[in-house]
Amino acid sequence: MRLIALTATLATTLLPVLAHADAAEDALEARHGYMKMLALNMGTLSGMAKGEIAYDEAAASKAGSNIEALSGYAVADLFIEGTAMGEVDDSEALPAIWENPDQFAQKFAALSEAAAGAGEAVKGGQENVAPALQKLGGTCKDCHDDFRKK
Amino acid sequence: MSAGPEHARRVRVWDPALRMFHWSLAALVIANILLGKFGPNVMTLHFWLGYAIIALLVFRLVWGFIGPEPARFGSFLRGPSAIADYGTHLFRRQPSHSHGHNPIGAISALAMLIALGWQAVTGLMSDPEDFVNIGPLADNVGSATAKAAVGWHHAGANLVLILIGLHLAAILFYRVWKNEDLIRPMITGWKWVRGR
Repeated sequence: MRLIALTATLATTLLPVLAHADAAEDALEARHGYMKMLALNMGTLSGMAKGEIAYDEAAASKAGSNIEALSGYAVADLFIEGTAMGEVDDSEALPAIWENPDQFAQKFAALSEAAAGAGEAVKGGQENVAPALQKLGGTCKDCHDDFRKK
Repeated sequence: MSAGPEHARRVRVWDPALRMFHWSLAALVIANILLGKFGPNVMTLHFWLGYAIIALLVFRLVWGFIGPEPARFGSFLRGPSAIADYGTHLFRRQPSHSHGHNPIGAISALAMLIALGWQAVTGLMSDPEDFVNIGPLADNVGSATAKAAVGWHHAGANLVLILIGLHLAAILFYRVWKNEDLIRPMITGWKWVRGR
């Protein structure tokens, strides 16, 4: 009886802890994947803007649309409590994210705004890529400045 | 030239090129700090001013070897004993009449050049992962270093701000405490000096 009670107690107290740690790691992993996806598409646009990749309207438009779609993702779920720098390994998220949630949300809203219509904006020629890229990249920088480890 | 302090004479310590360098550097560095901290997210202008600052630093390095006497590193960088000696009478309420940089001011000038050199190097290496503001040397140093360089560049900016603060405080200290104007010589070139 005692053993069962003990096991039950342990299970009820420990499980949430374990589940919590998992949730944090999952969120971190998903977040890094999310950033990586943004980076891949940004990389395509940046390569074309610099002329390192030959301009291809369809590929550029796909990258722009991908960024537009990604920017619509509800990222709050990827920045759950307990995933700041120092709380989980490899996290570069500054505590400021959770201290100024409104400001953080604004920075992401700025990305969505910049990304709106990106798939169309990069069509029509190589010269259209750089302006769209700069608009997007500026919002990356703005958020990294305040909310990512330097 | 009659009313000068005893034994001091008025000479042209700072040559025109050096004065031009000084004021250009001051303007560009301040502008670039402001652009870096409050400027647009697409930092094209910050980059260009950075390149101009690098050109000025290269000039100063060359001038430190081939320029006129007061501009030369070999002339103004002094040993520990000269620095300590200057330190012992730093707080005397009289002008230093230094022929250019005094031994302690020389350390400050050198520190500023090194700090700005650091800013140049870390800036060129920086990759803030925004696909826009990427330093031209970021590709050559590896992505981890390029990313870390952004942090080094921010830290360096704070160091430069501290050095500017010290520089201004020293000028005020010489003006108020030691009754020596260091600003006018950097504008006109002429300064009251003693010795040498």
